[in-house]
Amino acid sequence: MFERRLYFHVDWLLLGAVYLLCAIGVVMIYSASGGARLYLTQLAAIALGTVALLVCLGIDYRSLADRSHLLYGFLVLLLVYVLIFGVVRGGGRRWIALPLFNLQPSEFMKIGLALVLARLFGDSRNRTPNARDLAIGGALTALPLLLIARQPDLGTAATLVPVLLAVAFVAGMRLKVAGILLAVAVVAAPIVWTVGLQDYQKGRVLTFVNPSRDPLGAGYQQIQARITVGAGGLWGKGFMKGTQGQQGFLPVAHNDFIFSVLAEEHGFIGVLAVLGLYAFVVLRTIETARLARDRLGTFLVVGALASFTFQVFYNVSMSAGLAPVKGLTLPLMSYGGSSVIASLAGIGLVLNVRMRRFTN
Amino acid sequence: MAGPPAIDRRTAAIRLTVLSAVVVAAFCALAVAFWYFQVVENATYRRMAENNHLRKLSLRAPRGVLFDRDGTLLVENRDAFTISILREHSADLDQTIHRLSAAAGVDELQVRETIRRHRGEPSYRPIVVIDDATLAQVSAVLARRLDYELPGVVVERVPTRRYPSVGLGAHVLGYVGEIGEAQMAADGLRSGSVVGQSGIEKAYNKMLMGVDGERRVKVNSVGREITTLDEVPASEGQRVRLTIDYDLQRAAEEAFHGLGYEGAAVILDPRSGEVLALVSLPAYDPNDFATGIDRATWSQLNTDRLRPLQNRAIQGRYSPGSTFKVVVAVAALEEGVITPDFTVTCRGGGTFFGRFFKCHLKGGHGTVDLRHAIEKSCNTYFYTIGNMVGVDRINKWATALGLTGRTGVDLPNESESLVPSTAWKKARTGEKWYAGETISVAIGQGQVSVTPMALASLYAAVGNGGIHYPPRLLRATNDGGGWKGVEPPAPQGVRLKPETIAALHDGLWLVVNGAGTGGRARVAGRDVSGKTGTAQVISLQGGKAAAGRTEMDLRDHGWFAFFAPRDNPEIAGVVFAEHGEHGASAAAPIARHVIETYFAKKAGLKPYPVFTPPAVPAAPAAARPVPPAGIADR
Repeated sequence: MFERRLYFHVDWLLLGAVYLLCAIGVVMIYSASGGARLYLTQLAAIALGTVALLVCLGIDYRSLADRSHLLYGFLVLLLVYVLIFGVVRGGGRRWIALPLFNLQPSEFMKIGLALVLARLFGDSRNRTPNARDLAIGGALTALPLLLIARQPDLGTAATLVPVLLAVAFVAGMRLKVAGILLAVAVVAAPIVWTVGLQDYQKGRVLTFVNPSRDPLGAGYQQIQARITVGAGGLWGKGFMKGTQGQQGFLPVAHNDFIFSVLAEEHGFIGVLAVLGLYAFVVLRTIETARLARDRLGTFLVVGALASFTFQVFYNVSMSAGLAPVKGLTLPLMSYGGSSVIASLAGIGLVLNVRMRRFTN
Repeated sequence: MAGPPAIDRRTAAIRLTVLSAVVVAAFCALAVAFWYFQVVENATYRRMAENNHLRKLSLRAPRGVLFDRDGTLLVENRDAFTISILREHSADLDQTIHRLSAAAGVDELQVRETIRRHRGEPSYRPIVVIDDATLAQVSAVLARRLDYELPGVVVERVPTRRYPSVGLGAHVLGYVGEIGEAQMAADGLRSGSVVGQSGIEKAYNKMLMGVDGERRVKVNSVGREITTLDEVPASEGQRVRLTIDYDLQRAAEEAFHGLGYEGAAVILDPRSGEVLALVSLPAYDPNDFATGIDRATWSQLNTDRLRPLQNRAIQGRYSPGSTFKVVVAVAALEEGVITPDFTVTCRGGGTFFGRFFKCHLKGGHGTVDLRHAIEKSCNTYFYTIGNMVGVDRINKWATALGLTGRTGVDLPNESESLVPSTAWKKARTGEKWYAGETISVAIGQGQVSVTPMALASLYAAVGNGGIHYPPRLLRATNDGGGWKGVEPPAPQGVRLKPETIAALHDGLWLVVNGAGTGGRARVAGRDVSGKTGTAQVISLQGGKAAAGRTEMDLRDHGWFAFFAPRDNPEIAGVVFAEHGEHGASAAAPIARHVIETYFAKKAGLKPYPVFTPPAVPAAPAAARPVPPAGIADR
């Protein structure tokens, strides 16, 4: 299945950027956890992620897409299983206990959704997706979204929406339709607010708007995140020298706030370097979408890219106190096995499409 | 599968370009935001980060130690523990308060109230919720001092005032307390500072306070100290030596307790104005204030009818009664109105301006000259010469001898003593002075009202022949570089004519050593000279008689003012026995004990005399209830 010539078409630059980000992540986890053994777990996750990447790379994406409904169905079942038998941690039932680490199916759902949506829109005979395509896509997105939201994990659930939107957009969805969807969202927002959101979720949003509303609770994290970033300065305080991350002012520094730790210890220069790497990964991926030899490839790359980009952007904003605090990881860098493995698997798909752009 | 139609490819390419643009714009926006936070606003956030983990802890300076004139320790410091809450690090304040209250066994509501009172302060400043915690409380809290059980709870050791004499000389020493709002603004001191609120503690607060130190520490996110970065140690306040003689002070208070009187006493060294003893009873225990007085004790001290917080020696104003007669005598002699040989015949009183004024001796004293008029305290004689001199000249000489206004003693809130004059009455009431009023003034009644301190100063002046020194309590200070004596004050007053001095001294000597009223103050070989007096209560407060006052409350006050020895006196003073009825029976024995102790100490005779009530005890001693807040009941 892995023809020799394909090897020369692997995007080594993208792969290099990705593993550089992983490495920086490991270093920052080491620092943020004060040298604890967490970084070893992360290294193990990266190793497993590499296996996932190779698998996603090796099998022709068209074969993968053909079986995407099976993967999608399996993941939905896992999500249902998690809701019933999952491990409860930090107020959410999100994990399936595995020997090495806990598996978080919602992370993998992003890949599954990207595949199934790419197939849906790629197979469509219509030049632009019609209402039926959009309805099916919407339903395919809504099912896992609702399951994840039930955990409750609104953050991860929300990352599925960009997948649908990005794929539909690139597939040529009429802008008028996009406008209508936007209008519906605006109208729906107050309804979601009153009916759909739990009190703690409302609290987070309110606190984001006004952090001093609850300076010791949810607002605390936001204020501390901003302080952490701002205190970094141009050059940063140096490796392991950040006071905010090191002394527990910033909660879950090694996880959701890994970027804040980077900003504190390596300053604006470090931020620019890592943002540059992420931008490179994203732009390179968009280029891959453009180069793909078929619609399926384009949509698959865009779908894999969408949740990744959304999460990077959201997490970095949150790191500087620019977005409400949500349990959203920074792909590739944050501590968390499932996140790293799923992210690397997604990268594998992107590489897959790119290296097969010349094959038939 | 065939390739997609060309038009479709173009749409996708355009839209991918749009996506690229959006991504680039978004990343640029993020970069700009980080640049703003990290580079432009860096200083602000760095300071906030430092506030997060760097803490300045104030190290309270121990207040200066106080000694008596011989070096006996009067006030020192001990270590007390306070338990505070740092709200900044107490994520769940309610929970922390609840757990802390349970651990330390204190009233949770009271802790909440304390926190509420300080809620306006910055959250990084610890709020003391338990003053002077017991060792049991401290260990109970420390045992639970896990970051997650009692976050933001801090135990600190603070130097705290200790008054080993427990109430002795309470009104001299005063007490300390947390600084008030007004004081904070006036003296530029920090909230939570402990300052003198009364007595010497207040008068010399600046000197005694010292300079607080500061320790900069690194803390973690729950406020636990990690390391000390640097420390500026606190420097102790200056050590102060008072003019008070502990032995005399104790002798005076013991004598009061022995007779069962409240009241006041001021003992001076007439040669310098140094205050050797200052008594005001009932007293309080300054230790109660040292770590913040509890509400019950405070309100009890404030509502006590006997007013234990008032320093009677400098704030109580009373009619001087017959002790005032020396002023009238000085005025008459110095103005040349009479000579010491001027005589008046007393038939139990005299008629002035159509009204009969009684002498205290019904049958009258017969014909008396000045010396014997003083000895016998003949009212008729002083009515007569007072009338001849007139109120304004009495006022003039009272002022010359320092009896009016404030003496200037170095204690806060001294009251002004008053000797009336025509101008004073005009200004006060707009009415003219009636000559008849002078008759009452001549025997120290009517409008005359003086503090024990002023009267003591007057008798020091009379003993000195007119010269006196403003009373003072500060003898020497030591800021670490050895003891430095305090500049003696400049003499005040006027030198009286020798014949005036001789006549007064003779008369006052006779009061004690002759057939006068002061026999109970006699000390063999010490030539005690003095004068008894009675301050009428019923005439002043007659209207209040019905208002729940006991018979005791309506009894007159007894005075005894003195100096000794008659020539070149070394000790002078006044004893004021509240509701003692007569100076002779109530105040003179107390004065005698003090004088005796003074000379015994001077001669190096130990042990000092023990106070024994006079053989015929004054009636009130038995009837008097136990003083509620005095030392007697400790």
